Amino acid sequence: MNWLSNLIDNWLAFMSVGENVAFAILAVIMISSAVFMITFTRVVHMVISLALVFISLAGMYVLLEAEFVAFVQVLIYAGAISILMIFGIMMTRHDEEEQPKQPLFQALLLSGCVALFGIIFYVIQSTTFTPSTSSFDAGADNTKAIGELLYNQHVIPFELISVLLTVAFIGAIVLAKKEEG
Amino acid sequence: MDNILPSYLIMGAILFCIGLYGALSKKSAIVVLISVELMLNASNLNFIAFSKYGPAPSLTGQIFTLFNITIAAAEVAVGVAILIALFKNKGTSNVEEMDSMRY
Amino acid sequence: MESTYSQLAWIIPLSPLIAFFILLSIGRQLKQYGGYLAVVASLISFIISVLIFIERTGSDMQNYTWNDWDWLSVDTISLSMGFEINNLNTLMLLIVSFVGLLVNLYSIGYMKDDERVNVYFSYIALFTFSMLGLVIAENIVQLYIFWELVGVCSFLLIGFWYFKPEAKAAAKKAFIVTRIGDVGLFIAILLLFWYMPNHSMSFSAISNAFIQNEIEPGITTLIAILIFVGAMGKSGQFPLHTWLPDAMEGPTPISALIHAATMVAAGVYLVARTFPIFESSATAMTVVAVVGAFTALFAATIGVAQNDIKRVLAYSTVSQLGYMMLALGVGALSAGMFHLFTHAFFKALLFLAAGSVIHAVHKQDMNEMGGLGVKMKITAWTFGIGALALSGIFPFAGFWSKDAILTEALNQNVGYFIVGLTAAFFTAFYMARLFFLVFAGKSRANHDANEPHSEPHESPAVMTIPLIILAVLAIGAGFVFTPFNPWFGEWLTGAAEEHTNWTVIILSNLVGILGIGLGYLMYLRGSIARDVISSRAPGLYRLIHNKYYMDELYQIIIVTPLKGLGFVLRFIDYYVIDGAVRLSASSALYVGRLGARMQNGQLQSYGLASLIGIVLLMIILVGRRFWNVG
Repeated sequence: MNWLSNLIDNWLAFMSVGENVAFAILAVIMISSAVFMITFTRVVHMVISLALVFISLAGMYVLLEAEFVAFVQVLIYAGAISILMIFGIMMTRHDEEEQPKQPLFQALLLSGCVALFGIIFYVIQSTTFTPSTSSFDAGADNTKAIGELLYNQHVIPFELISVLLTVAFIGAIVLAKKEEG
Repeated sequence: MDNILPSYLIMGAILFCIGLYGALSKKSAIVVLISVELMLNASNLNFIAFSKYGPAPSLTGQIFTLFNITIAAAEVAVGVAILIALFKNKGTSNVEEMDSMRY
Repeated sequence: MESTYSQLAWIIPLSPLIAFFILLSIGRQLKQYGGYLAVVASLISFIISVLIFIERTGSDMQNYTWNDWDWLSVDTISLSMGFEINNLNTLMLLIVSFVGLLVNLYSIGYMKDDERVNVYFSYIALFTFSMLGLVIAENIVQLYIFWELVGVCSFLLIGFWYFKPEAKAAAKKAFIVTRIGDVGLFIAILLLFWYMPNHSMSFSAISNAFIQNEIEPGITTLIAILIFVGAMGKSGQFPLHTWLPDAMEGPTPISALIHAATMVAAGVYLVARTFPIFESSATAMTVVAVVGAFTALFAATIGVAQNDIKRVLAYSTVSQLGYMMLALGVGALSAGMFHLFTHAFFKALLFLAAGSVIHAVHKQDMNEMGGLGVKMKITAWTFGIGALALSGIFPFAGFWSKDAILTEALNQNVGYFIVGLTAAFFTAFYMARLFFLVFAGKSRANHDANEPHSEPHESPAVMTIPLIILAVLAIGAGFVFTPFNPWFGEWLTGAAEEHTNWTVIILSNLVGILGIGLGYLMYLRGSIARDVISSRAPGLYRLIHNKYYMDELYQIIIVTPLKGLGFVLRFIDYYVIDGAVRLSASSALYVGRLGARMQNGQLQSYGLASLIGIVLLMIILVGRRFWNVG
């Protein structure tokens, strides 16, 4: 029972830090709502649990000292994208019964996903992450720091992204309106 | 337990695998899109985690996540538009019936 | 004397070739003018041929050769193309272009109701082109190319009415049987290439080499006999003669063209052109003479018992070609070519007249004709002249040439002479039979009320004018080479041949008159019963009537075993070779089907496949740590 007591010791050590406790809670919420999202049969429920995933992700961003990103996450993902999804659901029909895929396909897919996760897990576990020499500085005002970076160092990608976004929205309008034209 | 980074990375891996499973197993095109969003978020989580606990901590990871979110927004907009156009044409949102590109 | 016109000889074959291409491309638009185009083209050929002929008769002409076009050159050996004009092929040019011209003219009338008349004229133009090209070919390879072209054209023309199964069969037969001969010629050409000093293929080089005995005798004999096999195929010598009577299925003017000028003359011309090879091998000469003499007699006896007007003429052609070969075999080149020359005229005349008859009564069986002489005066007269010329009656053209051959045969060997004389008797007899059955007596046609052409009438002028021209030539053409006027022989070979032999002249005339008389008594007067032979010796009659069962013999000896072999081979081909092919094809197909099933358009399946791929790749990469490989 040595490894079990080791595990409990580790667990207790992990939980002794307040930040870690918050992480654990957020992780539980996130994983369970992600699993719910996959297993729900009604699409609207799925979108709601997706919003939950997004919000708990935003919580994790806060833990990681990325307040502005967390804010954006809530605004865009939990707000805009979820609403967009709901609009998509409303515009299409979803009353047909979800037929499960072939058993062989399901089995292959499940084992593939599990194997992929296993490999990633193994790789992460067997890697030693050297602690950084310099500590992370999120800036006194995270939003201000990000803004300065965006408009100085990353101004060209920023402008390009805005152009791309415009093009994408025009494209989306054209695509969705095509039939009436 | 001085480094929490692996926990965040495993968290991202779990999200990614769930998203992958959903993207490949669901028939409704909307759900597939949602699952793809989940996978994108998993990668975002990795960026943020590395930006704090990585070998060279910097704000650039957060900047990149912002770009990523923007791209994801554009992707969803175009994706939903395509979905609606397809639905108008074919009367279905089942990805299994969208197989006109087969041999 | 400058060879002005000889330099223009290339126009002679070119003119029909151009006509061929024009007819081929815009024949449909030309409608009935296609015939006139063909006539003009052959007229150009004929005029230039005549000019060359006149030029060459002038004085001692040097042979004109142009061969500057290097067609093929390998290392030091080069094969050139070009043309050569000498007295021999000047004569051939004259015959071919003249008969071609008349046949074209005649066909305008004969074929005017046919829908594909311009296709017909284009074939004739191609045929004429091939034959003219064959005649002026400078080397034997070039000759071989045109030789095969002639074969193809004869196939096309004999099978012109391809909707008739007999015509199809006849065309195939002509093609296949002559091909057997062509293989012989081909091997001969290969041997020549191998043994000729410097691998030269031109006729002049071949002549020089063989005259100077540079080739060893055994090979010479082999080459000569193989060339003769080629000539046998084209000129319908026994045993490759069977295609010629069947070739009657083509339109009648074509029969005239094939029999008089182009196809069959090619064989005789080939032997004459390569005569030095034959002259340096006594064995080969004997073979040629024996085959020729046998064919002459053999075909003449078959001709006696045929009922189809064209078939009789066909066997007479075979027989007369036998005479030509006999002449060449006994070394009388000028006599052989002279017979070719006169035969071209009267045989073309006979065929065209027969065509005129067929055109009028729409049938070919002699037993259903009779009494046509009254209704078709021009045809009857001209046919009669042709028949007399063929029978070798003084003073018609056939007499002089046949007499020349028989004299030469007598000088060589009495056996040849007797065979030739007997054949002459049969020739006269069946020609008399033919003439009396068709033109004399009463009509035996059983008049059918529904038949629109119940009353035969004379053919239009466009058909009778060629007949009259040919009739004049059938009378007069012989006088260029008589015992008293050996100009032709001197011109052709450069040496006068002494051949005044009164015994031969009297005997051959006597035999001819005897044959005609017998035919007269049997078929016009009826004083000798017609079935005097068929009733007394029915077996003999049947034997002759069925052409000595040659076709059946071929069927049993060659066709049936070959068919059996073909069946076995087909079996192997179908189940073994094709089976392997089908196996590989179907396996590829099934692999493809499998691949196609993968491409089912389901994006999620693709995603799964790439997921599994990535997992496997990672397992391999990561797993190396555990398994310690590499």
